[in-house]
Amino acid sequence: MSDLRILAAVLAVAAVTYAMRSGGFLAASAMPQHGLLPRLLRLAPGNLFVAFAAAGILEGGWPSLAGCLGAVTAMAVTKREWAALGGGFAAAALASALA
Amino acid sequence: MPFTTAGLRRGLLAGLPFILSNGVAGIVMGVAYRGLGLDFAAAVLFSLLVYSATAQAVVLGLWAMPPPIAVMMLACAATNARYLVMGAHLRQFFTDVPRRVMLPILALLGDASWFMTVAEAERGRRDAGYLLGCSLPMASGWIGGTALGHALPLRPHGPLAGAAAFRPLVFVVALLPTQWRGPRSLVPWAVSAAVGLAVASSLGPSWAMLIGGGAGTLVSALRGDDV
Repeated sequence: MSDLRILAAVLAVAAVTYAMRSGGFLAASAMPQHGLLPRLLRLAPGNLFVAFAAAGILEGGWPSLAGCLGAVTAMAVTKREWAALGGGFAAAALASALA
Repeated sequence: MPFTTAGLRRGLLAGLPFILSNGVAGIVMGVAYRGLGLDFAAAVLFSLLVYSATAQAVVLGLWAMPPPIAVMMLACAATNARYLVMGAHLRQFFTDVPRRVMLPILALLGDASWFMTVAEAERGRRDAGYLLGCSLPMASGWIGGTALGHALPLRPHGPLAGAAAFRPLVFVVALLPTQWRGPRSLVPWAVSAAVGLAVASSLGPSWAMLIGGGAGTLVSALRGDDV
């Protein structure tokens, strides 16, 4: 690698990213198994999905909305992730071409 | 112990399409790194060690020589704070998996692999092997794509960039039906979407998932949706 400063940046960002990935898991070890926090964690995924999707659609516009509808429809019908991905990409590409 | 080779195999199969989709996104990242003047080794090392589209995109946005490392670290912590929630959530499924097994697997934790593993666990198939299995094709696609993108004479515009930008969204949305708990999901999901949109417009999309999802989760808990 041509520059040690670049290597330092890579290592620093990698350390932070791994700390985020492992930190929640390790911190949760010290957490009680019952109570409000475990309840919140159980309820979190669907809500996180929706918030993530809403922000993504806002950023991506109509093609993203069409792609999301295509993915949800394909998933609901086929129950297969690969079909949902294909349906989503196809709908987004079609909406992009028509826009 | 919920780490099985069957789960690993199932995860590998489920993750296969991501070789292509992560590969396309990785190619865009590799092209962008070449545009910044990073050499091949640095570009591949970024995707290998950091392995986070959001963190790497943030670093791209902040890139300068010398690199503002403290600012980059802070920005990456902020944009990847969602991993804290994801990791804590995974803990409740894998309390009986030793840390020496889980900690290396968590290095490959991504949005898609977390979503897929949680969906599997909620179908009654909790398996850390599945998390590793579906993460491997995703990481291979991302790292291989970065290498290819740096090596090929491509430009980071057009349909390639569009497909790569849409990739994180489509897999999250594809898994949305697995989280539907019937009509009681409507109100918290509406709150998550509304707050997520407000946050995305004001603070930026990186915070939308955490704050919007947090607000919806709080509403779910107050309504007692899990009892």
